[in-house]
Amino acid sequence: MEIVVCIKPVPEAETRLRVAPGGATLDAEGVKFVLAGYDESALEQALLLKEALAGSKVHAISFGPAPRTEEVLRAAVALGADLATWVESPSGSAVDPIQVARALAGAIAAIPHDLVLCGKQAGDDEAGLVPSALGELLALPDFGSVVDLRWDPVTARFKFLRSTDAGGERWEAATPCVIGLQQAWNDPRTAKLPNILKSRKAAIAKHPAGPDLPGARSEPQGFELPAPRTGARLIEYKSPQEAAQTLVRILREEAKVFP
Amino acid sequence: MTGPILIVGEVQNGHLSGPTLEAISVARSLGGSPSSLVGFVAGHDSRSTALEFGRFGVSHVWVARDPTLDSAPIAALALYIAAAATKAGAETILVGGTTLGRDLMGRLAIRWNAAVATGVTEVRRDGAALQVRRPIFGGRATETRRLDGAHVALALRPHAFPAPLDAPVDPVIEDLPSVPLPAAWLAPRRTGTETSAEGAGPSLGDASIVVSGGRGVRTAENFQLVEELAAALGAAVGASRAVTDAGWRPSSYQVGQTGRSVSPQLYLAVGISGAIQHLVGMLSSRVIVAINSDASAPIFRVADYGIVGDLFQIVPALTAEVRRVRAL
Repeated sequence: MEIVVCIKPVPEAETRLRVAPGGATLDAEGVKFVLAGYDESALEQALLLKEALAGSKVHAISFGPAPRTEEVLRAAVALGADLATWVESPSGSAVDPIQVARALAGAIAAIPHDLVLCGKQAGDDEAGLVPSALGELLALPDFGSVVDLRWDPVTARFKFLRSTDAGGERWEAATPCVIGLQQAWNDPRTAKLPNILKSRKAAIAKHPAGPDLPGARSEPQGFELPAPRTGARLIEYKSPQEAAQTLVRILREEAKVFP
Repeated sequence: MTGPILIVGEVQNGHLSGPTLEAISVARSLGGSPSSLVGFVAGHDSRSTALEFGRFGVSHVWVARDPTLDSAPIAALALYIAAAATKAGAETILVGGTTLGRDLMGRLAIRWNAAVATGVTEVRRDGAALQVRRPIFGGRATETRRLDGAHVALALRPHAFPAPLDAPVDPVIEDLPSVPLPAAWLAPRRTGTETSAEGAGPSLGDASIVVSGGRGVRTAENFQLVEELAAALGAAVGASRAVTDAGWRPSSYQVGQTGRSVSPQLYLAVGISGAIQHLVGMLSSRVIVAINSDASAPIFRVADYGIVGDLFQIVPALTAEVRRVRAL
């Protein structure tokens, strides 16, 4: 099975967020970028499928600028991806998630893909638009918020659960399809040192995003950080019952969140 | 953009869902007169929900009766929604803050050639464009984004907007002509549904109150304390990763970076220290309450209210107090 995994470099969770000059975006100066959390699950899921299905290949693909994009692709190779493609972002221009999807779809259309796996969203912009846009662009069915993805060799179909607001939906789908993953079977593995060293020399294919990429339809105008939290108002009490009564009273009368 | 606004109706227990009602509110706040508010609902038996749109001032409702939609992928639904938008001459599509809303947006961006945004908490007109605000980085920042062009589609964030007031009109209800669906889209099969993976209460995604337990709960059996409080509050139950990793509760409970993101009116963190990986899944909750024995736990820095104390004493007292107040 040819498995394409879309991955995105995002600021690591502990990053202290700062506003860039101009006020519209994150200041990426000095920020350490890592593989996005759900994408890490998607890559892990791809590697598990590859291990279960002899002859499979995992092809990691990422859109973005240097050097962070190349770095997450090398990280994916160190974890076990067989191939890596860097879709170079056009320099100097802001891109929106739909442009990213268009650029990725252009690259994916040119390589074999029985399954296109993505994280359901990335932890930075939290847009979650790429999986469904890829489905439309590649003319494939797509499924978001997927947990518990398995391949059934008897029926030659994927079986999975989609996490929904009402609970979950069980699905069966044949290849090819696009899946936005929420969770893999297992915790993502960590790379072994020899593989990290080897990944530094791995070939990264470059795919230009293309001059015919349609322009951005949305544009960031502001990036605001909330006022620093002052810390919790601590409830004083002499007994657990008093603490409970005070909290319930506050939630009803002040915060008005208690029906 | 002052043209018609199409509101995608989602049905829950035979009624328009809470997130759909929020979308109607937003449509009305954008200056939509009844004549410019258009509803969409799918399902072969949708007349009552179509009428429900009228109660809130939506004057025209398009119904997709295609029975294949019941078990088809969302791609098929997106085709019908784009068809309804074209019929209505809509310039804007609004969908509630659900997994459906998010999954539709990428499709509509391409098929309906729309500027799109998800997780939107504020919308206003900005000349000919729409300006939206949306929490990003797990609620640690907010971005303002301008969406340009003749078509805009937005998926809202749940609990960010009020429910609409009644403004009854008698809606025109019309069936959409059937749209040919690509065979490849109909091949996948939905083989079943599971109601609320999180147990008997409301689901994490749409609950207005969430009670989550963490490492401080200590054992799988003790987690019942968290669930009893949630049941008393009518809340959904969540957990930190420590709990799901330990196998005390399934991974569907996990709130945080690699689990669910929630933004309820009230988030109660019980025995959760507040690692950043948990915080990014709940920071955009409106009010946060922490109960923890360690006064220096980071959760108290982001919470609005805190009780420093032994959760094994505080939580049962709180459950009893909630039950007492509820019974009044």
